[in-house]
Amino acid sequence: MSIPELRAEIEKGAQEEISKIIDNAKREAEAITTEATTKSQALNTERGKALEREMETQEKAELATLRMDLKGELLKLRSKLCDRVFEEAEKRLAQIAERGGKEYNELLIKLTLQGITALSGKNFVVQANSGDVKAIEKELKTIQEKAAKIRNEEVVLRIESQPSKSLGGVVVSSEDGTRSYNNVLEARFSAAKRDLSWEVYKTLFGEEKD
Amino acid sequence: MSVDIKELQELIEEEKIAEEKVRKAKEEAQNILKAAHEKAESIVQAVDSDTSWENLKKARLEEMSRRRAEMEEEYKRKITMDDKTAQQNFEKAVTYVVKETLRVEI
Repeated sequence: MSIPELRAEIEKGAQEEISKIIDNAKREAEAITTEATTKSQALNTERGKALEREMETQEKAELATLRMDLKGELLKLRSKLCDRVFEEAEKRLAQIAERGGKEYNELLIKLTLQGITALSGKNFVVQANSGDVKAIEKELKTIQEKAAKIRNEEVVLRIESQPSKSLGGVVVSSEDGTRSYNNVLEARFSAAKRDLSWEVYKTLFGEEKD
Repeated sequence: MSVDIKELQELIEEEKIAEEKVRKAKEEAQNILKAAHEKAESIVQAVDSDTSWENLKKARLEEMSRRRAEMEEEYKRKITMDDKTAQQNFEKAVTYVVKETLRVEI
């Protein structure tokens, strides 16, 4: 091999090695950045999912709380509207009792008879407010006749003024005072309030409870 | 083949030059790798400084705010509707309570 050939060989060998070194470095660099890109994409995806989960949980919790609060407000309002119905009904009951009249007197008769029917014995004390006492006294004969018919025996009633003032109605007690049937309007109204609230709710809002 | 001293020296010089070139190429390769590592680090770090997450979060919060407003509006409508319905049925309900309170079964 001549000297120029040797020189060319040295130059060629060096170039080949240089190319190999640079090519390897470039390949390795490419692999490093590719790996970093893949890693960053994975991080991105994971972060996206985590954020999504976090936001969704937060959203659900906040919206559920809000829905509960709003529902609570709605139910409170509905309850107030139901209360207003009972308040108005109570006023009207008081007016009916205060007005008196034939229909009310018939009601007093029925209330008394119901009390007598619910208790045993034949001697009863009927207590009412002073206005109702007068009306019951007027109807005493009728009441006793009807009671006798229901009980199939003679019934004796003693009429008394109630110690405490009521809207109207009667308290029927056995003669010895051991048993009594409270048929004053307040007691009936309390029972109605307890028993009818769902019906009132349906009547007012025309729908099922939430 | 006869090689004189001068030529031999030139060949040795040529060899040295070639070695220097290879050394420089190795240096360049190191620089390429260093740059790649730096780039890789900046790619990964870019995830942390990516503001698109904040934008996404902001968008979701805005969406949530919109849904809250929608829900509040929905209940406001329900309350108005309830109030109206209750006003319409009020008399019927009162009459029912009075009637039932005074209904006596013997």
